[in-house]
Amino acid sequence: MDVFLQVLANGVMLGGLFAIVSVGLTLIFGIVKVVNFAHGEFLMVGMYLTYLAVTGLGLHPFAAVILVVPVLFLMGALTQRLLIQPLLAAGDHHIQIFATVGLSTALINLALLVFGADIANTPSSGLRQPVEIGPVRVLLGQVVILGAAIVLVAGLQLFLARTRTGRAIRAVAQNRAAAELMGIDVDRIYALTFGIGAACVGVAAVLIAPLYPTSPNSGTYFVLIAFVVVVLGGLGSIRGAFAGAILIGLIDSVTGFYVGADMREVAVFGVFLAILILRPSGLFGRQLRLSHVSP
Amino acid sequence: MTDIPIPAPAAAPVPRAVPRLSALALAILLVALVAVPVAVGNPFVYHVFITICVFAALSTAWNIVGGFAGQLSLGHGIFYGLGAYCGMLLVGAGISPWLGMFAGAGLAVLVALAISYPCFRLHGPFFSLATIAFLEVFRVLALHFRDLTGGATGLMIPLKFGWTWMVFRDRWPPLAIAFGLLLLTLAIAWWMRGHRIGFHLVATRERESAARAAGVRTVAVRLVAVSVSGALTAMVGTFHAMYLTFIEPAAMFSLTLSIQIAMFALIGGLGTVFGPLLGAVLLVPITELARGWLGAKALGLHGLVYGLVLILVVLFLPNGLMGLAARFTRPGKAARGVQAATVAAAPRTAERPPVGDDIVRVEGLQKRFGGLHVTNDVGFTLREGEILGLIGPNGAGKTTVFNMISGFLRPDAGSVSVRAPDGTWQHPSRPADYAALGVGRTFQIVQPFAAMTVEENIMVGAFHRHRDVGEARAVARETAERMGLAPWLGAEARGLTIGGLKRLEVARVMAMRPRVLLLDEVMAGINQTDVRRAIDLMLSIRDTGVSIIAIEHVMQAVMALSDRVIVLNSGQIIAQGRPEDVVRDPTVIEAYLGKEFVHKELVHARA
Repeated sequence: MDVFLQVLANGVMLGGLFAIVSVGLTLIFGIVKVVNFAHGEFLMVGMYLTYLAVTGLGLHPFAAVILVVPVLFLMGALTQRLLIQPLLAAGDHHIQIFATVGLSTALINLALLVFGADIANTPSSGLRQPVEIGPVRVLLGQVVILGAAIVLVAGLQLFLARTRTGRAIRAVAQNRAAAELMGIDVDRIYALTFGIGAACVGVAAVLIAPLYPTSPNSGTYFVLIAFVVVVLGGLGSIRGAFAGAILIGLIDSVTGFYVGADMREVAVFGVFLAILILRPSGLFGRQLRLSHVSP
Repeated sequence: MTDIPIPAPAAAPVPRAVPRLSALALAILLVALVAVPVAVGNPFVYHVFITICVFAALSTAWNIVGGFAGQLSLGHGIFYGLGAYCGMLLVGAGISPWLGMFAGAGLAVLVALAISYPCFRLHGPFFSLATIAFLEVFRVLALHFRDLTGGATGLMIPLKFGWTWMVFRDRWPPLAIAFGLLLLTLAIAWWMRGHRIGFHLVATRERESAARAAGVRTVAVRLVAVSVSGALTAMVGTFHAMYLTFIEPAAMFSLTLSIQIAMFALIGGLGTVFGPLLGAVLLVPITELARGWLGAKALGLHGLVYGLVLILVVLFLPNGLMGLAARFTRPGKAARGVQAATVAAAPRTAERPPVGDDIVRVEGLQKRFGGLHVTNDVGFTLREGEILGLIGPNGAGKTTVFNMISGFLRPDAGSVSVRAPDGTWQHPSRPADYAALGVGRTFQIVQPFAAMTVEENIMVGAFHRHRDVGEARAVARETAERMGLAPWLGAEARGLTIGGLKRLEVARVMAMRPRVLLLDEVMAGINQTDVRRAIDLMLSIRDTGVSIIAIEHVMQAVMALSDRVIVLNSGQIIAQGRPEDVVRDPTVIEAYLGKEFVHKELVHARA
């Protein structure tokens, strides 16, 4: 029984990790309607920045937030302005996919050039200490990630629901032209949203770097899971993404323990494909309202 | 319809010199792929050129799905890996890779069909994500079943030299095989693009609903495309495994490789036959030279260049290098400066054939969208050679009825039957079934195949009755002439005005030579002179025995054309009969003016 509880606890912790990586992706998808294939590379850049801040400047990993989040925000906003904005007018989804795929390829290889293929280990700064919660034992860093994911999801929800900017963002997502007619600067909202989405993954990077090794390909693993989570949760739904992340975390953990560590991905992607094909609006999505999906 | 002479081919502004120039450039490029390494003789140069051929072939094969069909697979490594493993395992069992190649291709076809059938419902990025997910699953499975695949340690080929085993001490035989595979893929891609299947694929990519209305079996053609693409990719995979002599799951079922394949095609020119070749020729050497000259220092350099080139191409050359080439060679847009043509005056045949028996029977159609009852017990018949006008205020449910009698919407209740040419009554359900019975339709909101020329647009319709490209082209030109579209034959449909697009809708369905024609507001956006001519055209079409149902708001046309008129309001038939009687019917007048008027007054009073 204790083993099962431990497996569940691991799954929830993993879910928190997936959630914090996915929040930004689902926000960008929901508002800008762009699938950002470079999301994982944003995470990777954030992890390298954390590594540099900790080893170079001697900061505590969490203090690196001050550096990483603004840089990532800027990266996101610039990506939107310089790369996505010109393509939105063209309205060609094919091209949009390749724009972010190109960005992803460029960033991975830039990291290879700068840092080499070796793994960079950010000092764990005590975050790898085990914490006992009842019968289960998890890492302090994992608990922090789960807590941060909950705070981030709740914070974003509040921001979108309660603030003037948040309402403007939701209005743009509902109907771009109508929002523009109401005097909302749509381009600015898009850049802001993309920036916020990237900043969220910056927060994720700071928390993940002390626990996981950083390499040019770090992002690829996380982003594939993040795509699964986002589709599962209903594209664009932040709460859905959180629920989807926990679910995927549990599937991953349970499969890893009871079937075999190497079959975890098969299970996760199997679920992903089943959802994509059978219920493209996601497990928690209400209505299918995506122009991408054919009638 | 054949009573109108086909215009001289000179009417189409197709520049002749340019294709010849391109053909020459292509020939030089292909010869150079073989001649340069043979002339230089350096093993490294051989290696670079073999790799170019391999990637050009992979990219060309990818383009059949990604470019022609517009399904952006980022999982083509699946097929490459299947080919590689299949070939390698069979070699281990003492079977020549020449056979293994075809075994791999067969396996790839099966996998392609199994993966694609469900995935084709997904569009754009979701299709790409699904293919990535499948690729990951294959990679993990290849790692898992290590008894079969050798797992992460990979497989080495047994070093048995000779043509039977596809392993050579000389450098030229692998080049010959790689080049041969490249030629094979290019030939197949070129053939497909120039024939009916290619038109069907591009039409499906551009506008799926319009393609279905033109009788294209959109799922079937895309399955053909993905099978061919997968099979060719697997064959190249088998060869490449023999050439590399070593395979492992990470390198075979690789996302990076899958992205590269797609990338070359996009950079060269998505959907063009020779673009992927161009992309590979320009980019592959960067990788190989960086590896050969700079070694480990330049780790990531070529990838960085790839990524940046891809971003630049996406931003500034969305049609790729082939698009750039076309910009220089094409003498301006054909559509510019051409005098506006009018719908050709249709010569009236002397006799109108008598109205015949029923050809379409519609009974008790019901349709609800949520709580909205958009079609409520609609039933009518259409007789052979008759024109039936369908009118009603906005939101009356006219287009919904059209969608149900062309297979685009399934009615909640009621039936639609069409009399087949052999006299039997059929109950078609899908758009392709309707098209097969000779029911053609236009769309109120025009649905052109934007990236295809006007001629190609009409040819998609003509392919419904003609398999042969030449015949389809002749029919298309004749139809274009009738619809006054001849000056724009070579122009892309996206450049037409709304009036031109409306005519194109009609031209495309006319080229199908339908027995029953469903016209959805084709007169809207056509100027007064042309309305008169379009009316004559419709009458002449009717006189050839075609039965027509026309939704129309231009009353002049409704009055002149219709033998009978049906008036829909709020999903119900409120009146029907001869046009002159219907327009005097008080319920009809109220439906158009009365209630609307009263409603408006109410709104004003409230405000």
